[in-house]
Amino acid sequence: MANAEQIGGGALLVWEIIAHSFPPRLDGPETWRNLYRVGVKSFPIVAVTAILVGGIMVIQSGTYIEQYGAYGLLGWGAGYSIFREVGPIMIGLMFSGRVGANNTAELGTMKVTDQIDALRALAIDPIGYLVMPRVFTMIVMMFVLVVVGDFVALLGGAITSRYLLGVDMELFAWSVITYIGLHDFLHGLYKAVAFGFAIAVISCHFGLGTKGGAVGVGKAVNSSVVGSAIAIFVIDYFITYIDS
Amino acid sequence: MASQTTDWREAIFAPIGEPVLEIFHIVRGIGATFALTLYYILNGKKRRAAIFEQLYDIGNNSVVFIGVTLGFLGMILIYLAGYQAMRITGDLQLLGALFLQLLLRIFGPTITAMMLATRVGSGMAAQIGSMVVTEQVDALKMCAAQPIEYLVVPRFLASTLMSVVLTIFAILVAFLAGAAVANTAFNVNFNTFWNLSFIGWFDVIICLVKALAFGMAIPIIACQAGLVVTGGSEGVGRATTSAVVHCSLAVVILDFIISGVGFVVLGFI
Repeated sequence: MANAEQIGGGALLVWEIIAHSFPPRLDGPETWRNLYRVGVKSFPIVAVTAILVGGIMVIQSGTYIEQYGAYGLLGWGAGYSIFREVGPIMIGLMFSGRVGANNTAELGTMKVTDQIDALRALAIDPIGYLVMPRVFTMIVMMFVLVVVGDFVALLGGAITSRYLLGVDMELFAWSVITYIGLHDFLHGLYKAVAFGFAIAVISCHFGLGTKGGAVGVGKAVNSSVVGSAIAIFVIDYFITYIDS
Repeated sequence: MASQTTDWREAIFAPIGEPVLEIFHIVRGIGATFALTLYYILNGKKRRAAIFEQLYDIGNNSVVFIGVTLGFLGMILIYLAGYQAMRITGDLQLLGALFLQLLLRIFGPTITAMMLATRVGSGMAAQIGSMVVTEQVDALKMCAAQPIEYLVVPRFLASTLMSVVLTIFAILVAFLAGAAVANTAFNVNFNTFWNLSFIGWFDVIICLVKALAFGMAIPIIACQAGLVVTGGSEGVGRATTSAVVHCSLAVVILDFIISGVGFVVLGFI
């Protein structure tokens, strides 16, 4: 029952977001503040994750590549999995942990300290003022972070292949350019947009539904990250199914 | 003139030094908590009821969540691998064997640990953080009970055990979900898919080592984030966020280190 209530609440929030998108109106300062907080502040953590993930993928492909001596395929093996699946999933999970959880905590704190009710008393619509900028920001920044993260991951992969496997960076780059097409890269970007939207809706929904003081804020953040993780894997499956 | 030079130096070195000091403080806090936890495991009282409570909370309550996420992961990976194999070789005989090996080596332990960091890590930080802001941890200290012995040790033991159990469960679920997709989408029957010829002791050992390492790292980092909470509901929210981020980062870093060492070791054997 509790799960059904959350799914229904999330669906209602999606409906309200769609209703607020026509005509599109965003609060300027709130959007800028969120763009900075979400994008710039998460960049270091996404970059570190991406470098390490690129390294891990090269190590995993490396064991098979060494068996057959096909070093020219190393860039393909690592790059293909990074662009299509592992990059968006890992960056999405980090994004949900860093940005989604932060967002739920912020909205939850506003809820338990009655700031949302104060907004309503001032005739400011919380959906238009708080939720819409966040949804816009998370979609844009997830897209940008996955674009940057993909290339940082390739860089991490190239460094790992040079120093652990002894494969030249030129060969790695050649392999990536030759075997990987634009559609592989775009496939990851569709996922990035979908994940950004899902994380925004879920984190705002749980944040606005927070009840009961500090304990409630902790519980809301916990359910928000759990919901985001499930959404990421389910959406990923359907996009992979449709676009392959 | 002198003040200008200090400003100039501050402008360059402060943005570098600040994150370094912050990371240093976090790592030192985690190290101290880990050392104290080990000390109390060896010297403290065994509190079975608390450990069983945590085992239930970490293990049983995560089963559905991990089953759903890893099931979808297995289906995703088989789609990805299946289409590639069809395009390049057209031979799907080895799909199951390769899939199982990849699950054991990387995706099983890593994604399970990311999910544990998400659910269990944020849960621990939220719970302990709420106890700190409602002064229950201070009350424990007043009763001469060490918060680390009382709160962290049961979580640490339970999470270490449950991480291994859940990783094995996750690999099974992902494999079965993958087998179902291979059967319906690529017509690979289950007997062909169930192929253990690629699996060696190396794969099993590296899977268990990763699961153990992740299971030990997550409770320490999450509890540390919860224990240093200051300031009401905002503080609890911040602690929960940092617990998820630090746990996930720790998983990725440990995964990189263990995979790298494993690769070098594999070169020798």
